[in-house]
Amino acid sequence: MRLTRLAVIAAAGLTAALPAAGAVAIGEKLQPFKLNDVSGKAVDLAVLQGKKAVVLMFIATQCPVSNAYNERMAALSREYGAQGVAFVGINSNRQESVEEIAGHSAQHGFAFPVLKDVGNVQADHFGAQVTPEIYVYDPGWVLRYHGRIDDDRSGANVKSQDLRHALDALLGGQPVPVAETKAFGCTIKRVAQ
Amino acid sequence: MSAAGLLLAAVLAGQLDAAGVGRAVAAHRGRPVVLALWATWCEPCIKDFPALEALARERKDVAFISVSIDEPEDRKTLEAFVAGRRPPFPVYVRAAGPDQAFIDGVDREWSGVVPVTLVYDRDGRRLGLLQGEHTRADIEKALARAKAAR
Repeated sequence: MRLTRLAVIAAAGLTAALPAAGAVAIGEKLQPFKLNDVSGKAVDLAVLQGKKAVVLMFIATQCPVSNAYNERMAALSREYGAQGVAFVGINSNRQESVEEIAGHSAQHGFAFPVLKDVGNVQADHFGAQVTPEIYVYDPGWVLRYHGRIDDDRSGANVKSQDLRHALDALLGGQPVPVAETKAFGCTIKRVAQ
Repeated sequence: MSAAGLLLAAVLAGQLDAAGVGRAVAAHRGRPVVLALWATWCEPCIKDFPALEALARERKDVAFISVSIDEPEDRKTLEAFVAGRRPPFPVYVRAAGPDQAFIDGVDREWSGVVPVTLVYDRDGRRLGLLQGEHTRADIEKALARAKAAR
């Protein structure tokens, strides 16, 4: 799918500083990977098999948009973590150090691990472009939701809690109502090609 | 609004929804167009703004349009930034409305990331979509392709 999309883009004569949006497509299986957490310990996503859903969140320490969601991410992970959903943060920004990520996680009370994606390998694999950007997998590790947490960065005028809707649907054995959404976000600061 | 406030507000070219962005691009039919979308909270956008200004000053054959996606609460920061720089192109601000409708209305291939620069040829065909960090050289390459396209 990813190669097909890239081929279409190349054929159309487009230029893109980043991989194509949606390089990992709805309905695709998760390819388990390992990344180090902030303590330097390798975390293998295979340990999450058996969870009712897995939420991967590309996040940042310095992005105002991602930071606007810190409290919401912490609350959602607590609420849905108690229902068997695993939350994992991924930081792919080249300029955000492990030490900075550890301090940021502690400051905002993140109960979920934040993994360091050195060289933005996983950001490239997923085609993640912004922070925050969310990928939700069902118990069979099939991608069921990709996009924003909700539709209002400020949190004051949220009309569509998209991540919550996706998780409620999965936990209830229902189809996710809206599988893909978009929102403004900061660029993931990749290493030079 | 104070006199200073009116002066600052006057530095912006106006508000645009996605359809308005399309009309602004179409108004320059016959010339390549560089459309830059950015925000004051976006560090790479601010860092690369001078390079965009320099390119616009050099490339008189190209129309440059910029649209800030700043929220209303960031308007004073935006106006002060634009007033301080006086860029050689109009700076619009996104009209209030759902983010996704604006993003998809401008270009369905746009992920919502900023900075993003779109390059159109003289017939209004979008030939370049530069999402995330990119350089002046990337814009120039897209412009070269836009110039060659016919």
